[in-house]
Amino acid sequence: MKKIIDAKGLACPQPVILTKKALEQEDEITVIVDNDTAAENVRRMGTKSGCTVDTEKKEDGTFHIHLSKKQGGTAPAETEQSPSGTFNDSCASDGPLVVVISSDRMGRGNDELGHVLMRSFIHTLLTLEPLPETLIFYNSGVKLTVKDSEVLDDLKKIEEAGVSILACGTCLNYFGISSDLACGIVSNMYDITSTMAAAGRQVIP
Amino acid sequence: MTDKEVYYVVLFNSVHHALRSEKILKEMGISHKLIPVPRHISSDCGVCLRFTADLRSPIEEALTGKVEIREICPL
Repeated sequence: MKKIIDAKGLACPQPVILTKKALEQEDEITVIVDNDTAAENVRRMGTKSGCTVDTEKKEDGTFHIHLSKKQGGTAPAETEQSPSGTFNDSCASDGPLVVVISSDRMGRGNDELGHVLMRSFIHTLLTLEPLPETLIFYNSGVKLTVKDSEVLDDLKKIEEAGVSILACGTCLNYFGISSDLACGIVSNMYDITSTMAAAGRQVIP
Repeated sequence: MTDKEVYYVVLFNSVHHALRSEKILKEMGISHKLIPVPRHISSDCGVCLRFTADLRSPIEEALTGKVEIREICPL
């Protein structure tokens, strides 16, 4: 019997937390949410946990997201790291590269210069080999992800190359620019914290 | 780089000149992009303005006499 999680009306990151908990118990669940962001976050959580994900959009505006664990293994994120003899810190360095943009300026001192440096930094990210797995934007960093941002073209290219871009929803909301997001996805502290914690290396310009 | 577009860059002797040029081009609505000076051009930690080949003369016109330019060269 498939378990149904009703997460309608719940604020982020509740739907994701409920989904994660349910997946610890069940192999197959359906999560019901009532907004795009929650649906997207639940879908991502599912994919990360190694589920096949299938979304139905209902006429009443809700999303029914069916998650079922793929046979033959759980997600990389869920798998227990590793054989005996490895130290925690050496495991950690095997994780992905995550770039954390906590401001729309790079460094402290002069704001105009700091903004120029940040634009250059983001442009240069494209030349990294391999590219980072994820870029996280929070605080005034989210201003770089919205329409009219000077680095939008670069961020779109980075995204096309397969890098995931997470923009802090609280921050977009704080600056009143939630509806202007032009790349990446609206994320929450739950995702941001777990992505940062799972990183092998973090670059914080 | 996979871009097929042909680009040029304007190089400056000072970051301030680059910023002033950017302001001028923004006001005139000429599309351009502030990027770090590519390594093969200079190892300085500088910025330059990149633009597509077709905009060369409008950009030269817009900046001449207003900002000190070091060089315009193909990317």
